Amino acid sequence: MKLYTIKLLTITCEILAQKNIIEILKKHEITGYTTYEVDGNGARGLRGHGLKTEKNVKVEVIMREEKLQDVVEEISRTLFANFAVVLYVSDVGVVRTEKF
Amino acid sequence: MDILQLIQSNLLTPIILFFLFGIIAARIKSDLKIPEAISEFLPIYLLAAIGLHGGIEMRNTGFENMLIPMLVAIALSLLFTLNHYQILRRLGKFNIFDSYALASTYGAVGAVTFSVGLSFLKNQGVTSEGYLAAILAILEPVAFIMAIFLTNMAVSKQIRQKKQSFTKDDTSDIEIGIQETKTKLSQVLHESVTGKAIVILLGSIVIGYIIGEEGFGSIKIVFDEMFTGAIVIFMIEMGIIAGQRLDDIKKVGVFLTAFAVIMPTFNGVIGVLVATAMGLSLGGSVMFGLLLASASFIAAPAVLRHAIPQANPSLYITSALGITFPYNIIVLLPIMFAISSIVHNG
Repeated sequence: MKLYTIKLLTITCEILAQKNIIEILKKHEITGYTTYEVDGNGARGLRGHGLKTEKNVKVEVIMREEKLQDVVEEISRTLFANFAVVLYVSDVGVVRTEKF
Repeated sequence: MDILQLIQSNLLTPIILFFLFGIIAARIKSDLKIPEAISEFLPIYLLAAIGLHGGIEMRNTGFENMLIPMLVAIALSLLFTLNHYQILRRLGKFNIFDSYALASTYGAVGAVTFSVGLSFLKNQGVTSEGYLAAILAILEPVAFIMAIFLTNMAVSKQIRQKKQSFTKDDTSDIEIGIQETKTKLSQVLHESVTGKAIVILLGSIVIGYIIGEEGFGSIKIVFDEMFTGAIVIFMIEMGIIAGQRLDDIKKVGVFLTAFAVIMPTFNGVIGVLVATAMGLSLGGSVMFGLLLASASFIAAPAVLRHAIPQANPSLYITSALGITFPYNIIVLLPIMFAISSIVHNG
């Protein structure tokens, strides 16, 4: 089976930044994403315990390279300064490129 | 009445003991925790119980006499928020964002503190006016909305000043700034009014008003007799979270620690006196004072993280939950009760 290379953007952030990220995705007409709650430790200390609003989430988005630059740029510009955010991009293989 | 004695007897109530127990459990790094679903459910339950009681009371006493206390509460909440801001900004030398975030956290109300207050009064055999539940709902977004509005004004003013020092022809940035302010405000307004706390509270008030005393009979066991027990369970969770943050208290500094104790005392005592002057009952005056003394720590991060993301959340959460909340329920509540008793009986 042929696999097509496409980009996977993974963002780990505090749960209260999730809405901002989804809004940015929506703005760039990306409707498909997966989120899940995670724990961990980072620059802003141990995350994932305490109040519900202090949890972390991981957002995974598969997208075409054309959109990637703009999305990453906007997330960096609007969220890096004030929120706990880590993001990285990797190459993944998918079967149906038309989905993304 | 001896205030010290009152504080002492309050210290030995199940609510306070379980709170302290939660702190100890966190300090010894026990893995004790309240399951997430329950700790999310309990605030909803507490607000439903508060709302039902408020609604039933309002049916008995009518709500035409709530208008003045409500307007006074809103006015005081706004006034106190402005006052907090000046103190934090000028004396505390906090930046604009932290100052406004903290000012509104302390101007806003705490529903958990309110629950503990009701239970405290019940323990003392004193009742309070039911419409205070409605005031709790209305006060919830007030301080936030004002702080967000003022923060955005300050930011767009800065943008404007910067812009003027460059060129004079391009106004697009200012327009964007003002536009952003508007959307942010309407978003916050919508979110806080449709937020679960206000929805369940207002819904329960309406239902309580409709069903009245006789309709309440069938659910009394859950919403009346279990009320204090439910708070106790929630207090374990609050104690654990406060205990986990104990180390952070060192980071908030001496100024904010003092602020977190002195401001609520000042606001609360003023609240008790004003409420007494308006003719509220002994218990009602205590609850009115408690509304103004309490700081928000459940709603605040959710609202402020979006509206004023530049502010450091660990400052306002730690001071509100780690310092003010325990101080309010252990020390200030009995003090306000004693003051209210004195001014009502003399």
